[in-house]
Amino acid sequence: MRFRKWIFSLILAFAVISAMYAQRGRRGGFDEDGAPLITPADADEKTEFVFSRLRYPSSRGGGGYWGVRGSWTTDYPKADRQFVQGVRRLSRIHVRSTEDVVDLDSDEIFNHPWIYAVEVGHWDLNEKQAAKLREYLLKGGFLMVDDFHGSIEWEVFTSSLSRVFPDRPVVDLANKEPVFHVLYDLDDRFQIPGIVMFYTGQTYEQDGVDAKWRGVFDDKGRLMVGICHNMDIGDAWEHADMPRYPEHYASLAYRIGINYIMYAMTH
Amino acid sequence: MFEFFFSYPARVYEKGQFVLLGGWPVWVLAVFAVVLALALAWPYFQSRRDAAIRVKGWHAGVLWALQAAMAILLLSLLWQPALLVATLKPQQNVVAVIVDDSKSMAIADEGKTRAEAAKEILNAGLLDSLKKQFQVRLYKVGRSLERLEKVEDVQATQTATRLSDALRGVAAESASVPVGAIILLSDGGENSGGIDLATISEVRSRRIPVHTVGLGREKYDRDLEIVSVDVPSRALADSRITAQVTLRQTGYSKSKVTLTLRDGSKILGQQTMVLKADGEPQTESILFNAGPAGPKALQIGVAPLDNEENRANNQVTRLVNVEATKPRILYIEGEPKWEYKFIRRALEDDKTVSITSMLRTTQNKIYRQGVAEPKELEGGFPDKAEDLFQYQGLIIGGVEIGYFTVAQQELIRQFVDRRGGGLLFLGGRNALSDGGWGRSGLLDLVPVTVTDRRDTFKRQRAKVQLALGGRDSLITRLVENPEANVERWKQLPEVENFQETGAPKPGAMVLAEFLAGGKAWPLLATQNYGRGRSAILASAGTWRWQMLQPLEDKSHEVFWAQLCRWLVTASPARVTASTPRQVLTDETKVQIRAEVRDKNYLPVSDAKVQARVLLPDGSAEMIEMRAEPMSAGQYVATWDAEKPGAYVAEIVAKRGEEELGADLFNFRREDGIAENFGSEQNRELLEKLSSQTGGVYYTRATAEKLAKDVSYSEAGITVREAKDLWNLPIVFFMILLLRATEWMLRRKWGVV
Repeated sequence: MRFRKWIFSLILAFAVISAMYAQRGRRGGFDEDGAPLITPADADEKTEFVFSRLRYPSSRGGGGYWGVRGSWTTDYPKADRQFVQGVRRLSRIHVRSTEDVVDLDSDEIFNHPWIYAVEVGHWDLNEKQAAKLREYLLKGGFLMVDDFHGSIEWEVFTSSLSRVFPDRPVVDLANKEPVFHVLYDLDDRFQIPGIVMFYTGQTYEQDGVDAKWRGVFDDKGRLMVGICHNMDIGDAWEHADMPRYPEHYASLAYRIGINYIMYAMTH
Repeated sequence: MFEFFFSYPARVYEKGQFVLLGGWPVWVLAVFAVVLALALAWPYFQSRRDAAIRVKGWHAGVLWALQAAMAILLLSLLWQPALLVATLKPQQNVVAVIVDDSKSMAIADEGKTRAEAAKEILNAGLLDSLKKQFQVRLYKVGRSLERLEKVEDVQATQTATRLSDALRGVAAESASVPVGAIILLSDGGENSGGIDLATISEVRSRRIPVHTVGLGREKYDRDLEIVSVDVPSRALADSRITAQVTLRQTGYSKSKVTLTLRDGSKILGQQTMVLKADGEPQTESILFNAGPAGPKALQIGVAPLDNEENRANNQVTRLVNVEATKPRILYIEGEPKWEYKFIRRALEDDKTVSITSMLRTTQNKIYRQGVAEPKELEGGFPDKAEDLFQYQGLIIGGVEIGYFTVAQQELIRQFVDRRGGGLLFLGGRNALSDGGWGRSGLLDLVPVTVTDRRDTFKRQRAKVQLALGGRDSLITRLVENPEANVERWKQLPEVENFQETGAPKPGAMVLAEFLAGGKAWPLLATQNYGRGRSAILASAGTWRWQMLQPLEDKSHEVFWAQLCRWLVTASPARVTASTPRQVLTDETKVQIRAEVRDKNYLPVSDAKVQARVLLPDGSAEMIEMRAEPMSAGQYVATWDAEKPGAYVAEIVAKRGEEELGADLFNFRREDGIAENFGSEQNRELLEKLSSQTGGVYYTRATAEKLAKDVSYSEAGITVREAKDLWNLPIVFFMILLLRATEWMLRRKWGVV
């Protein structure tokens, strides 16, 4: 009997935590800083473009989707929503005020031709998920990855990426690549730091001193994966409204994001 | 039998004019007839008062009618009825006897060859009879008309039959000699395009009757013939095209045959079919890939069937010029869209069309892709005809009408109407009604009706299906088999969004539909407009066909490639050259036509247009083309292709030093082909020729009457003869019949 009570309590606790976790989504809840989220009035608007965040299993936190830090939820959802406000203001893209979350375990991802994955220095895709991501990208989907730093996280990232594309190289993107010119000319790019710089006093994390703009191309020279290594564009979106966060970082982050979306919608 | 009762041949009654030779006026005859009729009625009227002799009412009427008819008949004979008929004066007229000398006359389908049958008819007395009355001129007709000394010179070896030329030739001779009649012995296998109206008019104007004697069987027992093949004379490299083949057969109904289309030894397409009822024309389509650029001579046909009587009419040749050009499509899109990206991707590998796009990324910025040179479209959407008209196709995505100036709107209309380009409207939140197009002057370019509503674009997924009109369309053919294609469309993923429109306009065709709110709406509709064509795809969400189907599935790419090819394939260049018949079967005359327009696609009538024809032996000939007076920008030339083989005609148009453009086409002369087709007796043609010229059609069996009939003609030197009618045996028999009938009735009814 006593054992049953324990089991019941455990299930109840799990249900409450799950429900609270679910509230972190776009329907109210709290953002990463614990501030209450206000659902925009037009959250249900049907639009051409929706910011789609990839939910992936993480190598940290015991695997699965539930890692606490270094997971797919980093900066979520404030970065997403703050960024799309900029997309609305600065381009003709018809974009929704709230985001969607997609994963590689269902075919729903194919309805979202642009996805954003954060902290991919901790992702851990299994073969099935890697195959789905490969299919998604080869059909015309686009993946932008961001907020991972240094050589260790690079190793983790490429470990999963090599399951997606075993024989497709990751290459450094030249300035002339259309993704840097499709809307904004972004020849002069610099490292975009996260707010960790306020504590460390440096714009890089771990040993990722220099920003790396990399990518994976398909057979026709079209960029499929835009890799923003050693930078934290998501933080720049999220904290663009923070008085201490330098404007030039936020500005470049917005331009980079818009260019990646515009590229994905034109190539 | 006819002549036994009526004394003269039927032809006298057909040609003759009825007259009364008696000197008294006709009205006197009418008065006498009335008086006589009344007088004969009087006794019956009187009999009503006396019950003993009263005749029953209708009996009296019948008897009176018989008596009156008899009396009036006799009375009218006093006025001497006769027929006035023109007859040829003996020995002063020429009768032209034309014998068909073409190869089809060598067919032995009635126990002997048709040529032998013709000789037999002539030698069995017809020629002798004619010679007794007229001067007889003997001709044979094949490629041309030739005088003959004797009938035996007919060999039936010529590879064509030009009846029109023959009739015109004889008619022309009638200017110098009195041609009283033409006798044509033929199977009616005319293969220069039929007997034209001008020829008929010329013969009629000279009042020369053409008597025809039909030779050969009117229908084979066992034969299959390719009646026609329609295939585009031009195609883009690697594009899919259709050949529409019409065939007809007798004796093989319900048999299964395979229609094959080949280029040399390479089979490009095949279609298995079950043959329909005997004599019923049957049309089948073969879909095939045009392949790489270059001229193609396609052989289309069915392998000879068992016991087929004519095996040489199972295959025909058609020429297709597969062009190396890559037409360009300008695609303007009002806002970033997934559809934009996926359309571009679908066409990226396409070898037949190229797409140049301009996308409004921000309020004032345009992102250009696929431009030929850096400055192209730099100033936005073209505002000069020569800039817009360099494209063959135009796609307008979600762009509000207000984005275009009034001049640009007019240019868009002229792009389709005058330039002959293809225009495709796409759905979108700023497209069509939602973009204000409902009140624009360009509304008639849209193949469906568009309302004033602003909420027609719905971001809601919808299933799609083929409409009836799409079942035979090349645009919507995702798989070869038409039935499987219908099912394939049903299996396509839903489109991401759609635009509600009204019904298709008259002349428009709906090819595909989407299903929403319990009804089907036009998804893809096309129409012809002016010299060009327009279409609407009422969605911006076909990209799901790419993302939601397996990676190896190509239906999205195939659909867009086919839609875009349709858009541009028929868009003419500034100089276009053509010929009505690319394969000259047993004929030499080739007509070359060219249409010349300037940069703004306005017709040019003062150009110097030359055709350079490359002959089969490698030599070349220059031909000056002349402007057609009543058709601006049209130039023509007629030329003789004297040798069989393949020819290339290159047409160059210049105005002063400026070269306006050039075009080329292929044509081919093949000999010994035409006579294999339509080799059954064409009785319809022969009967029509006779009836329209005042002649008579005869069969082999009735040809013996010809010698008598031929005299009755109004051509040549004639006399008018009066043929008495009072002494016809039929009159005597009528009198007897009337009296006998009256006598029998009186006996039966007991009337004295």
